[in-house]
Amino acid sequence: MTRTLARLLTAAAFALCVAPAAHAQDDDSVLKPAEPDFQLVSLPTALRLPKYKSAFLITHRFEGPLKHSGIGDLFGLDAGAQIGIEYRMGIVKNGQVGFYRTSDKTIQFFGEYGILRQGAKSPVEVAAVLSAEGTNNFKDSYSPSVGAVVSRRLGEFAALYVVPTWVNNTNTLPKQLADNNDTITLGFGGRFRIRPTVYVVAEVTPRVSGYKPGTNQASFAIEKRAGGHMFQLNVSNGPASMPASLARGAFSNDNWYLGFNLSRKFF
Amino acid sequence: MRRSRQLLLATILVFSAAACDEKLADIAGPTPDLEPTFASIQKDIFETTDSAGRTSCVTCHTNVGRNPAGGLNLVHDLAYDQLVNVASTQLPTLKRVNPGSPDTSYIVHKIEGRAGITGRRMPFNGPPYLTDGQALILKRWIELGAPRN
Repeated sequence: MTRTLARLLTAAAFALCVAPAAHAQDDDSVLKPAEPDFQLVSLPTALRLPKYKSAFLITHRFEGPLKHSGIGDLFGLDAGAQIGIEYRMGIVKNGQVGFYRTSDKTIQFFGEYGILRQGAKSPVEVAAVLSAEGTNNFKDSYSPSVGAVVSRRLGEFAALYVVPTWVNNTNTLPKQLADNNDTITLGFGGRFRIRPTVYVVAEVTPRVSGYKPGTNQASFAIEKRAGGHMFQLNVSNGPASMPASLARGAFSNDNWYLGFNLSRKFF
Repeated sequence: MRRSRQLLLATILVFSAAACDEKLADIAGPTPDLEPTFASIQKDIFETTDSAGRTSCVTCHTNVGRNPAGGLNLVHDLAYDQLVNVASTQLPTLKRVNPGSPDTSYIVHKIEGRAGITGRRMPFNGPPYLTDGQALILKRWIELGAPRN
């Protein structure tokens, strides 16, 4: 009898502990320490944005290669930068839309929808991502893309990502002059929490088929979370920060460039 | 939830179908109908002085009333056989058009004015020369095997 009661109490205690945890897991406004932001360096994460909440991002990719820079030109900062501004908003539960503009006058409109949630039913989180980029303030050279983000959070200490994406019109030449006009990329990345609010991030975006000039873009970063802010210092072998520019590749593996991301979540 | 997923799937399908591409006419410059086919190149490059003032090749490369310049005759019915797989008289180590290889085709060296050519960059009375886009279309035809199309 005592043993049965003990079992019941244990089960009740377990249920009480688990139920709020499961609820918290589904509450997208609650911080997930392993997945605190909507992007790694350039690749998207599967983080969901609560309905009617929003987030803001500023990106800088300095144009002076570290190899040829020193303290005299502040490790490439004097060479100027490609600056990007992004704003995203949750419009339905699990769904968000946003736009991102870089200083080369490319504008990207995107939407992301969380399809699977990591938990008892699924070992991974899956989100679908749609995007369309256009150069010259979205007047020329449109590049639509369809992709997915598959992520796996490892407790509160790390999150791993696989980001397959099909991008159309990656070759800026007309189809009559090009062998390939599409690219399939398969991004890999991870964010690792090395201190309670400090992370290291790595990502690489290999092009697995189609048009793939240059070399695959790779990035490394260290970042500090402070409330709803994330301050990231990154190093990349190219300035790409959108699906089509990632598909067009980086310059080379000989030159690496400093950059940073500043993000703010309004929830 | 099910309706949301169906909507998402439909959006993805519509989005995937909406493939984009650049327009060939945008890079063809003063010859907007130019395509990487022999018939088009013959019509718009060899036989026509374009709207930018670049003179047609057959102004000099003809046997009508003169000897063809450089021994290259580009009149309509002879042009293909004078070009493709024919060694250049100015630089016999290169073919005038080497199918599949624009970089080893002497015609490309001549129209781009590359180092090592004999004589002047073509057209003879340029500038204007072929625009980068026109040259790109010509090179694409060669890259595709220089077919008689």
